[in-house]
Amino acid sequence: MEDRRAVRKRNSGERGLALLAALALGLYVVFLVLPLLLSLRSSFTNENPLKAQNDFIGFANYTEMAGDDQLKASLTFTLILAFGVTIAANALGVGFALLLNRTSLSYRVMRTVAFLPQVLSGVIVAFVWQTILTQNGLLNTALVKIGLLDEPYPWLGSPHAALFSIGLVVTWVMSGFTTVVYLAALQSIPLELHDMASLDGVRGTQRFRKITWPMLAPGTTISVTISLITVLKLYDIITVLTGGGPANSTQSTALYIVKLAFTSDRVGYASAVAMLLLGLSALVALTVTGVLRRREVSL
Amino acid sequence: MIRKPLLAACVAGLLALTAACGSGDGGGKESGETALTYLVFETPSLDAKFWDDSITAASAQTPGVKINKIVAPSTDRDGYAKQLQQSGQFPDLLQSITPSNFVGAGLLKPYDKTWIDANFLLPSANSLKGEVYIPPTNSQIVPQVYYNKQLFQQAGIEKAPTTWAEFLDACAKLKAKNINPIELGGADPFAASMPLVGIVSADILGKNKNWLQDRYADKVKFADADMVTAVNKYRTLVTSGYFDKGALGVKYADSITRFTTGKSAMYPMGSWFLGSVPKDTADNFGSFPWPTDNGDVVVPFVGGGSMAISAKAKDTALAEKFGQAWSLNPANLKALIETDGAFPMIKGKTLKDYNVTVTKVFEDSYAYVGQDNNKVSAIGWATNDDALPAGLNDAFYAAAQALFTKDDVAGELKKLDEAWKTAAQ
Amino acid sequence: MTTTSRDTRDRQAVGGRSALTPPPQPRPRQRITTRARVLVAAAVTLVFVAPIYLMLVNAFKPQDKILANPLALPWPPTLDNLTKALSRPDNLIPLGLRNSLIVAVISVALIVPLGSAFSFYISRRSGRVKAIILVALSAGLMIPPQVTLLPTIRILTWIGLDHSYPGLILANLGGGYLSFAVFVYVGFMRSVPDEIIQAARLDGASGLRIWWQIVMPLVRPATATVVIFLTLWIWNDFLNPLFILGPLQGQTITTGLYLTIGQYSVDYGQLFGIMFLAGVLPVIGYLTVQKQFVAGLTSGSAK
Repeated sequence: MEDRRAVRKRNSGERGLALLAALALGLYVVFLVLPLLLSLRSSFTNENPLKAQNDFIGFANYTEMAGDDQLKASLTFTLILAFGVTIAANALGVGFALLLNRTSLSYRVMRTVAFLPQVLSGVIVAFVWQTILTQNGLLNTALVKIGLLDEPYPWLGSPHAALFSIGLVVTWVMSGFTTVVYLAALQSIPLELHDMASLDGVRGTQRFRKITWPMLAPGTTISVTISLITVLKLYDIITVLTGGGPANSTQSTALYIVKLAFTSDRVGYASAVAMLLLGLSALVALTVTGVLRRREVSL
Repeated sequence: MIRKPLLAACVAGLLALTAACGSGDGGGKESGETALTYLVFETPSLDAKFWDDSITAASAQTPGVKINKIVAPSTDRDGYAKQLQQSGQFPDLLQSITPSNFVGAGLLKPYDKTWIDANFLLPSANSLKGEVYIPPTNSQIVPQVYYNKQLFQQAGIEKAPTTWAEFLDACAKLKAKNINPIELGGADPFAASMPLVGIVSADILGKNKNWLQDRYADKVKFADADMVTAVNKYRTLVTSGYFDKGALGVKYADSITRFTTGKSAMYPMGSWFLGSVPKDTADNFGSFPWPTDNGDVVVPFVGGGSMAISAKAKDTALAEKFGQAWSLNPANLKALIETDGAFPMIKGKTLKDYNVTVTKVFEDSYAYVGQDNNKVSAIGWATNDDALPAGLNDAFYAAAQALFTKDDVAGELKKLDEAWKTAAQ
Repeated sequence: MTTTSRDTRDRQAVGGRSALTPPPQPRPRQRITTRARVLVAAAVTLVFVAPIYLMLVNAFKPQDKILANPLALPWPPTLDNLTKALSRPDNLIPLGLRNSLIVAVISVALIVPLGSAFSFYISRRSGRVKAIILVALSAGLMIPPQVTLLPTIRILTWIGLDHSYPGLILANLGGGYLSFAVFVYVGFMRSVPDEIIQAARLDGASGLRIWWQIVMPLVRPATATVVIFLTLWIWNDFLNPLFILGPLQGQTITTGLYLTIGQYSVDYGQLFGIMFLAGVLPVIGYLTVQKQFVAGLTSGSAK
């Protein structure tokens, strides 16, 4: 009796665990895999909420992309932003990490502070930067007052400057993250390596090149990949800062997809562009990780 | 003990449900009221208080209605309405949207025409394929050019320009005195397009009232030579430095303050700007119609109005009732006249009947509505049959922003023709 | 890599190496470089946090003082901006914070058991199916949410949960957040010794019981990482609440900010006051759990 009850209890316990696991997988399938498949299906249709009926139109949406100037502009913008921010944020991250890799209290405070931008939501970050960068903003007011500028500079108001400004803001946010990753990587370098180097008389830049940099490689892989993916799906900062303007010059592919699907009534085409972005993200993520991982080994 | 996590999950799930019920639904059910959603937009003059007050007043006249206000997050309220529709929450009532963007999908319900005919001076001002989706409570001129008299005097400009040559001359004189000639709130796409709306309405529609109908019939194109010539005028203004170099970074709300505080001498804007003229310095501001080549007056006219009704509203009859009450409420019109520069168009009433205090520049500008002059549909703003096809407004705005930095007039206009083709499909 | 071991080593790296090698430079000069280094680091950090500094000080200054000198300290400080922000008729701040809290807490409270139970279950299996499922799940980390947004809304509409908190929470449960939880948990569970689980099994403990009473306490650092990061991400999420929740159910703090002050941001004092109130909670949270925060990132990047 006693025994059978224990077995039954145990069996229900097994089932309970399997059930929870299945529930998790089920949610993932319903809210990620299924939407992905629906999106893929929609990309072969002319789905449009203004029309009563949608038809399968084969690859027409995909061929249309080839001649879409807005799409091309958005891809160029997105890729420049993604790679620009990744390079800048990682360079800054390594620099910060080297600078802040000390134990005294002041350095610990500075490390804490450096991560703050990551904690604030993109909406807050963008609003605060907007007050700084807008035409009558704090930066222009200050620069004109101290005589560095004769007239306000359009930080958000000309296509090139807006690209730069968005890059600056996103880099600012991402650097907090890259700094922490590189700090962690720095601290995982075995002390003996440095000691040996000191004995061999290897110092300064040489030491950085020969020891620190190669040992940072795993950190670089993580940090670069996550920076790239984050920028590829970035939505909130751009939406608040410029809304994609002026003249769609800062319209990232993610923004373009949302615009097509939600305000231009072109759901089918939006799905096709979404598939392109998905493919691009996968390609970038896989190649970059692949290249960096191989580099980890060879270094 | 074993059930603990499951239990926790269940409790959390229940919590989620109660939380949703607690803050969702917007209430109103228990008292037998019907809750309707109403999309509005805020501007510096039409602030939250205006909408709340006007909703309270109209609700009082519409028993059984409970209005839940939704505020559009940007000046692009058509875009936001679309977004809501796409995510399955199209509002029941929509203030000042462009009906042509929604009628195609059968999303809007027209108003009762006898009511429209009985109450408004121009019953067909907003008529779209024979139906009226927005009560023509008021009208607008989009754009007029507002100017700062003191700055004009400083630059030695004697009178408001009427011809294009005089206009350019005025700009040159202002620029020579280091005064920024034309204000542009270019960060908001609609505001960025104002000079272009003026140019196209005056030069193209002024000569061919039916241009938009002809465009629908494919008889004319944006890429036609006369349009290219007209739009090149805009490039002239840009390349001569008559706008602030950073104008595309100036938000619409900021552009108003910049103009009213004397940072620029002229401001082409819809007549709603009249509501933002500061009371204490109102005498310093004047207005003139967008200048034409020979000085003929062309008035880009729009029948403005109140709200459209969703065909899918929970109770369309009740929604219409609310819309009617709101549209005819004299207090709303008074507020719209005073703060939004609306030109009232309700039958049998003059400006005096609304008990409003308006500025001289308002009266001068309003005069163009009553005069017998060449009124044309303001391109991109008309809510009647001359409205652009769905989505074309955005393309038009984008072209205006693009032409601020690019010289390719013909190319941008060709893009508009292509966008038209896609939209018409 | 624990904090303590790192600290001692660092100290060695700076000054305590004399036992091994002769000091590379004479001591006074070294002290100068140490001091210069602090100054440089402080200067760089100051420039870096300038925007946050602006948000902090200007929340306590009136508009004219902000424009006169945005960098000046708020003296005498005014609470006008904060009281105005809190007394808005639309209750933007209190409601937004409450709604964000509901969504974040419930989502995380559900993702943690789901994610960890799944990870435990799958990490006890082997073979190709497991590998495929894990790869499919980790792919969720890089899928841009814009790709699945509209179909997700459609699915929620089918099951009648569109524009509701349960709907938003469900979408959170199934999306990339679950991937992240599984990613972290699977990494940690690999290091749980098999013998412990076998022993518990011999004692007659069921899978559910082993997971909850034995494994979960062992992977507490993983839970800390998952809880901290998911709370932060869901709290800061913008796209999902904006489209899936919509305007009628009350805003979360992020969409509330966007929908109400997107229009005209001319009054900087007001704006900074609202931003300060909206941002202060996550910052306080971060400062209190800072150690786990960094530890989470460190362990995550080591895996």
